[in-house]
Amino acid sequence: QTKLLLFPLSSSCSASFHSSGETQIVSEQAIQREETMLQCIFLLSDSGEVMLEKQLTGNRVDRSICVWFWDQLLSHGDSFKQQPVIASPTHYLFQVVREGITFLACTQVEMPPLMAIEFLCRVADVLSDYLEGLNEDVIKDNFIIVYELLDEMMDNGHPLTTEPNILREMIAPPNIVSKMLSVVTGNSSNVSETLPGATSSCVPWRTTDIKYANNEVYVDLVEEMDAIINRDGILVKCEVFGEVQVNSHITGVPDLALSFVNPSVLDDVRFHPCVRYRPWESYQILSFVPPDGQFKLMSYRFRVRKLKSIPLYVKPQITSDGGSSRISVMVGIRNDPGKAIDSISVQFQLPSCVSSTDLTANHGVVNVLSNKVPTYVRSYEVVLKLILLSYCV
Amino acid sequence: MFPQFGATADTLSKASTIMFRIGTDAHLYDDPEDVNIAPLLDSKFDSEKCEALKRLLALIAQGFDVSNFFPQVVKNVASHSLEVKKLVYLYLLHYAQKRPNEALLSINSFQKDLGDTNPLVRAWALRTMAGIRLHAIAPLVLVAVGKCARDPSVYVRKCAATALPKLHDLRLEELSSTIEEIVGTLLTDNSPAVVGAAAAAFSSVCPNNYSLIGKNYKRLCTILPDVEEWGQIVLIGILLRYAIARHGLVRESMMFHLHSKEHSSSENDDSDVHSTVGKVGIDPSKKYDSELASMISRCYIEGPDDYLSRSSYSNRVSLAFSGAKFTSCKNNEDVKILLQCTSPLFWSNNSAVVLAAAGVHWIMAPRDNIQRIVKPLLFLLRSSRSSNYVVLCNIQVFAKATPYLFASHFENFFILSTDSYQTKALKLEILCTISTDSSIASILKEFQDYIRDPDRKFAADAVAAVGLCALQLPKMASTCLEGLLALTRQDSFTSDVRTSEEEAGVLVQAIMSIKMIIKQDPPSHEKVIVQLVRNLDSIKVPAARAIIIWMVGEYSKVGEIIPKMLLTVLKYIAWSFASESSETKLQTLNTVAKVLSNSRGENLETLQKIARYVLELAECDMNYVVRGRGCFFRKLLSCHLGSKKLEDEVITSPENEGLLNVLSEHMFHEQAIQQSPVPINYRVYLPGSLSQIVLHAAPGYEPLPKPCTILHDADTEADVSEQDGSGSFTGSLDEGSGSYNGSDHSVTSGGNTESGESGSSNEDENIQDPLIQISDESHLLPAASADLEELMSKRDLETWLDDQPSLPNSSIHKESKVPRSARISIKDIEKRVRPKTYELLDPANGNGMKVDYTFSSDVSNISPHVVTIQATFKNCSIETISNIVLKHEDSTTKPSDCSESSSQDDVPALVPMQEITSLEPGQATTETIHVRFHHHLLPLKLVIYFNGKSFPVKLRPDIGYFVKPLPMDVEVFRDKESHLPGMFECTRSCIFKGHVDDLNKEKGDHTFSKDKFLVVCESIALTMLSNANLFLVSVDMPIAAKHDDASGLCLRFSSEILSNSVPCLITVTAEGICSEPLNVAVKVNCEETVFGLNLLNRIVNFLS
Repeated sequence: QTKLLLFPLSSSCSASFHSSGETQIVSEQAIQREETMLQCIFLLSDSGEVMLEKQLTGNRVDRSICVWFWDQLLSHGDSFKQQPVIASPTHYLFQVVREGITFLACTQVEMPPLMAIEFLCRVADVLSDYLEGLNEDVIKDNFIIVYELLDEMMDNGHPLTTEPNILREMIAPPNIVSKMLSVVTGNSSNVSETLPGATSSCVPWRTTDIKYANNEVYVDLVEEMDAIINRDGILVKCEVFGEVQVNSHITGVPDLALSFVNPSVLDDVRFHPCVRYRPWESYQILSFVPPDGQFKLMSYRFRVRKLKSIPLYVKPQITSDGGSSRISVMVGIRNDPGKAIDSISVQFQLPSCVSSTDLTANHGVVNVLSNKVPTYVRSYEVVLKLILLSYCV
Repeated sequence: MFPQFGATADTLSKASTIMFRIGTDAHLYDDPEDVNIAPLLDSKFDSEKCEALKRLLALIAQGFDVSNFFPQVVKNVASHSLEVKKLVYLYLLHYAQKRPNEALLSINSFQKDLGDTNPLVRAWALRTMAGIRLHAIAPLVLVAVGKCARDPSVYVRKCAATALPKLHDLRLEELSSTIEEIVGTLLTDNSPAVVGAAAAAFSSVCPNNYSLIGKNYKRLCTILPDVEEWGQIVLIGILLRYAIARHGLVRESMMFHLHSKEHSSSENDDSDVHSTVGKVGIDPSKKYDSELASMISRCYIEGPDDYLSRSSYSNRVSLAFSGAKFTSCKNNEDVKILLQCTSPLFWSNNSAVVLAAAGVHWIMAPRDNIQRIVKPLLFLLRSSRSSNYVVLCNIQVFAKATPYLFASHFENFFILSTDSYQTKALKLEILCTISTDSSIASILKEFQDYIRDPDRKFAADAVAAVGLCALQLPKMASTCLEGLLALTRQDSFTSDVRTSEEEAGVLVQAIMSIKMIIKQDPPSHEKVIVQLVRNLDSIKVPAARAIIIWMVGEYSKVGEIIPKMLLTVLKYIAWSFASESSETKLQTLNTVAKVLSNSRGENLETLQKIARYVLELAECDMNYVVRGRGCFFRKLLSCHLGSKKLEDEVITSPENEGLLNVLSEHMFHEQAIQQSPVPINYRVYLPGSLSQIVLHAAPGYEPLPKPCTILHDADTEADVSEQDGSGSFTGSLDEGSGSYNGSDHSVTSGGNTESGESGSSNEDENIQDPLIQISDESHLLPAASADLEELMSKRDLETWLDDQPSLPNSSIHKESKVPRSARISIKDIEKRVRPKTYELLDPANGNGMKVDYTFSSDVSNISPHVVTIQATFKNCSIETISNIVLKHEDSTTKPSDCSESSSQDDVPALVPMQEITSLEPGQATTETIHVRFHHHLLPLKLVIYFNGKSFPVKLRPDIGYFVKPLPMDVEVFRDKESHLPGMFECTRSCIFKGHVDDLNKEKGDHTFSKDKFLVVCESIALTMLSNANLFLVSVDMPIAAKHDDASGLCLRFSSEILSNSVPCLITVTAEGICSEPLNVAVKVNCEETVFGLNLLNRIVNFLS
């Protein structure tokens, strides 16, 4: 006790990164609380305007929660924006931000937070797929479709139909033809008259009666590599994430199998629901009945341990003399991979104390993104010179 | 400069947007009210209706209240266009609860749609009907759900499952048992999609009804990988809870292991972290881990709030799973199959599924296999930024309990530039937790980079993390100290230029970390202290200076160098005292006081001088805390300060001096006390739960069930029932009903209290227990009895054809097979009909006034909407009560508020009653009151005035008296019944026990023994007639194969609804053995389905 009295600081160390969970939710309608999971979904534009609200249960959530949310966002800034789960005074909020659109879901009861987040991501995916992009205008223009989709995707706070292929059959996406038709005839129904046959089959992701003149399947491997290189140019960590994207146009209900030459390099995999687990478990073979059209069959991950296998190198160099400094970033190809590497883009953030920059590249274009432009002017000036070297082989 | 160009560009971009927006609903959203919506809604063209509805939806989307269009929109519900339907449904769902009366108008259309051939139409109708959530139609919806639960279309069945929680939300007690039955049925569905939705329904309707799961456990496990992803999440949770409640924790699992580690500390083969910690004696990190881990497992089961609120820490430990039982996963099939079926889910595309599956393995899997959750969890970090944070929160707990699991994957927690601040902080903490000797070098190197991060708050966190790492791995302490020292030096150079607060934060954090590390082993870090002290001059941040000065005092006697330089340092801090901030001043005072009280002989004089100087300065300080501290030290250290001032002091007695010495000794020299480990108060919630993220128990959070709380009997019974269906069921039913004998009796004997309510709760319990296939049986029953009826009907006809003309007067039929029954006359049964009495006003509440009421079977002649009630006023007090009158609560409001049709408007809620002028003590009087209820379920609020006071009372309606007897014969009955099939027919079953007592009584006196059948018939008829205003049409006796088999016994009652004279037919069919409780199926045929269902519920309620 005396210790604490004499040295109050000693008790407060090391507690710096513990978010204390002191905020207690005070439920307004504690008595009427419903057991349902999500109660409401709001779509907010990047200016904080509520573009859409979809109440999912009888207990309606007032819009004022969005006002609260936006106020918090303005006062807390970025760190709040990146918080996926927020405990507001009345509700728990889940937010997913996609292309400036904030998808906000509310609940008052315990539920798996990942479920809500994953669902919101799914909604965002489906919407951007339907509307060919996401922005404020496109959502407002097609609000009826958004409503119909949300209604179909969630019932009473529990996800109902989220498979994009089935949704497409139930609610037709807007396309040029239907738009024109609706202008000419003044009549446009995008609601399907019948239930997609797939909902009743054991492969709910595929409709049964598909016919093609040519049966073809395209398989794309898209890989992303994440690497951390420290200041000395030494590779700290490198991981490759791959996706197997399939575009299938096959008649009937085909059963496909796909095998890898060396599946053991894959550290971890995740599958589309159509992939059967058993064959993979025993033979590492992908056996599946594909959905029609484009879909992501699987994603995988593996770690790269040798620096050599990174095809690019990035070398920053900083020199400073008096008030201005010069940064040059050299980007090049490490060892010839035998294929062309193009569309290289280098992004980096300048510290806030930089007042003006003069960026040039000896190859390609330099873009200064607005939010990266320094707004903070100091008494001394730093002039940055950027030399961006990029090769197209 | 060129405004015209600007304008052109603007218009151009506008034009292009317009082009792009052609054909969309843009104009509707932007300007929803530019045309008059109302006439469009009444248009005969679907396209115009559509447009109007879209405009309304646009207004809803923008947050306007357009509920005033409700009646017009509802009309369109009958549209044949699916698009109009969909839009109407969207609107309806949004406003239905606001406009319940208008919403009722749509019910008929839903009913029609439910019979549609298109499954999509059926599904939509069901979803919307359940979604509008009105109490009045709840029973109707329940029937619809029950029907749809057996629909051929998977989609419709799925919608039926999702409709159940909506019904459950209405909290209608009498429906809950049926809802659970349907959940049970849907859980056994063949289609995985339906099972998933049923699982969701289960978890919100009856999450603790494990018997439903127990019956299907194995099947649910095997179907799990095929269930759609959202259902998987819920189902995994349910199965986990069941497995724990049924079998307890797994002996080989992490939970058990963590728990047992506490007792057998020798076992640490698994953690290379711990085995390499070479400290002798108490190993703080190890102790920490095992305590934390055992706490985690107990938090899962008890909930952290319960667990942490227990009074003392030792108490917590001692209560280690006293009641918990353990099982082994090697020989427990159920656990094995659960783990087997959840493991492929690690490959799921849905991150929530992966996390849920990982949670199961974390809790249940043997710890040798737990490694397999690591990679999928790490892969989740890739899925999306939002889920990233949630996954990390969960990994943090896993890593705390078992650092070795993630130790080799430390690279995955390296910070990326795109991470949010919260994510970065979490990653840092995880990195600290999982650092090992082999990885610490790379981790520290990373940390060095983080310290240069432009986000200084994060840099400060990184500095703190370095300190934590050093604490965990004492070997690294010196390396860490070096780095931190470099930081203080480097910062001190620049601190003149960049004195921003955040920068200071980094510095303070660095010095705090140093202090923490030094505290572990001060003598070996002596040089670090010296270096810090040397830097004192260049460090300007007050908090940092304060810590360094504190260290000078604390370690003034440590090592060789410090005592030597002490005097110089003290002089320096005394010299700078005046210019310090108050925080630093306080620490300076502390240090000086400590050193002074420590000093023995040498340099005492100089020290005293310094102390006096500092104290004098302190006493003149602006800050009162510093002043106070100065005064305090002057008193306390009076003996050390030298004898000069001694006479000035108030306290001079030698005892006091001694006391002061002891006091200062205690304050400054008690260093050796080993701090007891701080109780760990982390709140740990189940993996993957919301509560774990927000760190408090969210409403509805449930910890794992107590291990082994399901009785084995219940389960074996379930197993048996799985093997051979119906046989075991009747047994369980009998058992259930037998145990409720007592409660049943109290209902039938008709207590004076609010037996309506108690009855309903009894009924509820009755059904809840043996459950499930009751509904199936009930559907079988009428069919079976129908066959019998066909056999019988001709005989009936032949025997009774002659009697029929006289039937309108008589109400009971006698079975020709039982000649003695002929003696039961109408009067006989009517005499025995005793309507139940309800209490309106309790004498305790009403100043000695007691008011009871019974529903009278007389039909009022005022209006068909009026129910007649006999109210008995009794004066239980000792004084005369005068001027008693009963009025409607708010006689000023027009009763038309709630009425649906205008014809009711002219009838007041309560026909004014004649005032009772006075009532003597003990006197009672009965009045006939005519009441019009607004709704056959909602109570009517009345006020009793007497003696100038008013007492609000509630008059509860009894739906049984909203009908009047409708005399008819069997033929007419059959004919009418055949016209009311399908939707108009509803059935429920219950257990009737009223006759058992009568039979027992018979046995008691052997004077004359009645036929058992007769007793049963009488009993049922009596119960029915005492509780509802019905006409007994016929009693059909079974052609008994056995002498006491009552199966096939059928009673028919007829009535018509008071308000609209719609006939309401009731058929009661019994099955079972006379002397035992009978299984009774009640069927109501009525055009008014809502009314019929409520009546049915009421009948079942009083029969059982």
